[in-house]
Amino acid sequence: MLACGAFAGIAPACELPPGTRVESQRLALSYQTVPGKIAVGEQFVLEFSACAKEGTAFSGRVTLDAHMPAHRHGMNYRPSVKPVGEGRFRSEGWLFHMPGRWEFIFDLGGERLTHSVRIE
Amino acid sequence: MTRFAIAALLALSVAGNAVAQLLDFSAAELRAILRHGPWPAPWSPDPSNRVSGNPEAIAFGEHLFFEPRLSPSGKVLCATCHAPFRGWQDARARAFGLAEADRNTQSLFNVRYNRWFGWDGAGDSLWAQSIRPILDAREMGGSQAAAAALVRGDPELACRYRKAFGEPPPAADEAVFAGIGKALAAFQETIVSGRSPFDDFRDALSRNDFSSMEKYPEAAQRGLRIFVGRGNCSACHFGPGFTNGEFHDTGVPFFVRGGVDPGRHGGLKKLQANAFNLLGAHNDDRSGTSAVKTRQVALEHRNFGEFKVPSLRSVAQTAPYMHNGSLATLADVVRHYSEINPDRLHSDGESLLRPLRLSAGEAADLAAFLESLTESSSALPPRRPDSSCR
Repeated sequence: MLACGAFAGIAPACELPPGTRVESQRLALSYQTVPGKIAVGEQFVLEFSACAKEGTAFSGRVTLDAHMPAHRHGMNYRPSVKPVGEGRFRSEGWLFHMPGRWEFIFDLGGERLTHSVRIE
Repeated sequence: MTRFAIAALLALSVAGNAVAQLLDFSAAELRAILRHGPWPAPWSPDPSNRVSGNPEAIAFGEHLFFEPRLSPSGKVLCATCHAPFRGWQDARARAFGLAEADRNTQSLFNVRYNRWFGWDGAGDSLWAQSIRPILDAREMGGSQAAAAALVRGDPELACRYRKAFGEPPPAADEAVFAGIGKALAAFQETIVSGRSPFDDFRDALSRNDFSSMEKYPEAAQRGLRIFVGRGNCSACHFGPGFTNGEFHDTGVPFFVRGGVDPGRHGGLKKLQANAFNLLGAHNDDRSGTSAVKTRQVALEHRNFGEFKVPSLRSVAQTAPYMHNGSLATLADVVRHYSEINPDRLHSDGESLLRPLRLSAGEAADLAAFLESLTESSSALPPRRPDSSCR
């Protein structure tokens, strides 16, 4: 699990760059990984942008994590998270060490957004 | 390839030759099998080691690997425990240099693919891991100062250092010691296991070469099905190297003389305290990318009693097994997982290992598959003649 206490300014229209879009009741985010295809046992970087759906500025704590629900374990790493301006974040140190279904968990100011991916 | 297509081949045979029946592997099984190759896997030099892949450094490292004077006793060399003719390990339950240690000697086969080094992952680079035994009182019992003085003072070693690094050994002991590790690593990066019967089968599957597939014994095929299927072995023994490079508690006792072996938990503490880790001054990777794993790895309570998932390549050459060498044969290893007691695992709720309850025939099949991961012939070039350095 990782956390970042930075304040992120948000574009008024809540426009997000291309990527995998994840939404909660109030928030939306778009993320992508580098490289684009996640491989078992290979480090990757997560980049994402987040905003409030109403276009209001998002502020608060960002906490990121991932786990394998079927195995009931998480990662062996705590990735960093760094705001890079305009509601964008860069997170390093991700590694999924088993094949199967992993769930990304984005906690943005206490609001939880999740997204599942299958890693072969 | 579909189950139907494979099933259609079941009756194929070649007159006069013993051929195996081909199992009707499902599409999911085939995908899982193909993930274990091709072999050898791609590799690129280690950015944290500026002499990785350098032929002069490889030659220097090979010289150091067989250099008994790195131990003040003059009796222990790297090859004492990592004997080339024993699968680059020592065939003992626990390593014995100057005295008996607590853990089994790991093979050096394919060590260049590792992310972490040692049973506890206390090393984050092959070069840092390579100098650890020189300092260990039970292994080589040396010191940075003595090793650096040896390289600076011996004309042959000093010449080899200069050719590998492009400069004479520096005055700082720590810098020379890091160089020793980097040369040793450059040599060990060349130790790659040869192709195995499994690799031939896997590649034959990938190109629909049925006559080649039939050379793979049926028992090994049945064991392979267990391995990628209900055994779920490939969750951890993943990919071409048959390891995910991480750490797990597999229910092997970790009591040692005078206490317990903390495994990964202790390894991470050693890693953080090591001046030669990738966050330190001796990392040659100026991009910082190689150090991300060291910076971000998590120290958790559940790491206690976890040990590295070993590669299974050439596993038949590397008995005995497990971190403490407590299992003598592959059949013993299969029995361990078949009868594993989940209550003994420090898993913090993780739900992964369960007893497989294999029949005698299934256990023999799984062992036959494991045997088939061993190289058919060595991929290593013959040792170079040790000509003097000029």
